[in-house]
Amino acid sequence: MSSDAGGRVEPVVDASGVQLKTGLWRDSLGYVGPMQPGSGPRSNPLGWFPTGPEIGEMLPSISGASFDGTTVDVHLDREAGPAVVSFLRSAVW
Amino acid sequence: MITYDEPDALASFADEFGITYPLLSDPDSIIIERFGILNTLVDPDDHPWYGIPFPGSYVLDSDGVIVAKFFEAELTLRANADQLLRAALGEPISIEPTPQIEEPTEVTVEATYDGEQLLPVVLRDLVVTLRVPEGQHLYGDPVPAGMVATSVALDADVPVVQRDAQFPPTREHRLSGTGEVLHVYDGDVHVRVPITYLSSEFFNDDGVDVATIRGTVTWQSCDDHVCHLPASHRFEIELPVGKHNLPEFVRGEGSTRMDFNKHFQQMTARRTGG
Repeated sequence: MSSDAGGRVEPVVDASGVQLKTGLWRDSLGYVGPMQPGSGPRSNPLGWFPTGPEIGEMLPSISGASFDGTTVDVHLDREAGPAVVSFLRSAVW
Repeated sequence: MITYDEPDALASFADEFGITYPLLSDPDSIIIERFGILNTLVDPDDHPWYGIPFPGSYVLDSDGVIVAKFFEAELTLRANADQLLRAALGEPISIEPTPQIEEPTEVTVEATYDGEQLLPVVLRDLVVTLRVPEGQHLYGDPVPAGMVATSVALDADVPVVQRDAQFPPTREHRLSGTGEVLHVYDGDVHVRVPITYLSSEFFNDDGVDVATIRGTVTWQSCDDHVCHLPASHRFEIELPVGKHNLPEFVRGEGSTRMDFNKHFQQMTARRTGG
């Protein structure tokens, strides 16, 4: 990670990898994909990166439209039960 | 689940995979940014990639408090559903102990895998179980000077991606003589090492392959009167390697109702004004 002029910590990109052939790269852990490590969807952080609210904190409220048009409110809809909330990059690519 | 995809893309995705749980669309990454997990390593002009989060999961208890988080710097890695459920329900692992005919007098070790295949991308646990005879205990960190903490280490040449070993909580054990407090394990001690693989070298066009996972378990056991010399145990297990767990259509086989390319073009056009 690095710090900017105001002392704010910023993540650093992991651009390590090997080009296997035109349009195909392998990163340091062995994942092979069509984009160069360190670019676009392969902008992996090297070391520290922000992961949002911490363990022990209340999850911030989340509400919005689900795929079927219904309104979802995580804390209301879990009905006082445990829940898993996942942020993924994309369902399309 | 929350992504920055368009609502209609998520509707198609839900239909394609029979998903019934909520999929929230955050196309302007408002929620993503509010959570502080916007991937700022992507250039703001790099469309359609700008707006994605650092992916991960939060596990909440019944009060809505975060009790576990699963985030990986290697953005392709995922926690598996069993790990998430176990964290959500607060249950211990479900591996059944091997029936013992006689009460053991020495620590025994067993290594198993919490799954049927070693699959790419999704982390599953190698589980090392140390069975500690009654009256004895092993050490966890912080360990007293001169003593050896319990550890599990895979061989350096094991071709898997691994994460730090996860140990159960220790209990406090106070020495009657000195009053010193030790952090110990007793009974059945389950140590989990999340593993997966990413290298295409595992792929085998003829079908699944087999991965040999080797490692060393180290511990030091004591009872109330004497401490034994540190001991270690070598383990080796063979795991069938799943070729991949991608849907057939992603591999260029079969067909799909969802037009992934159409949705990709739409999300790109919206972001570029095209």
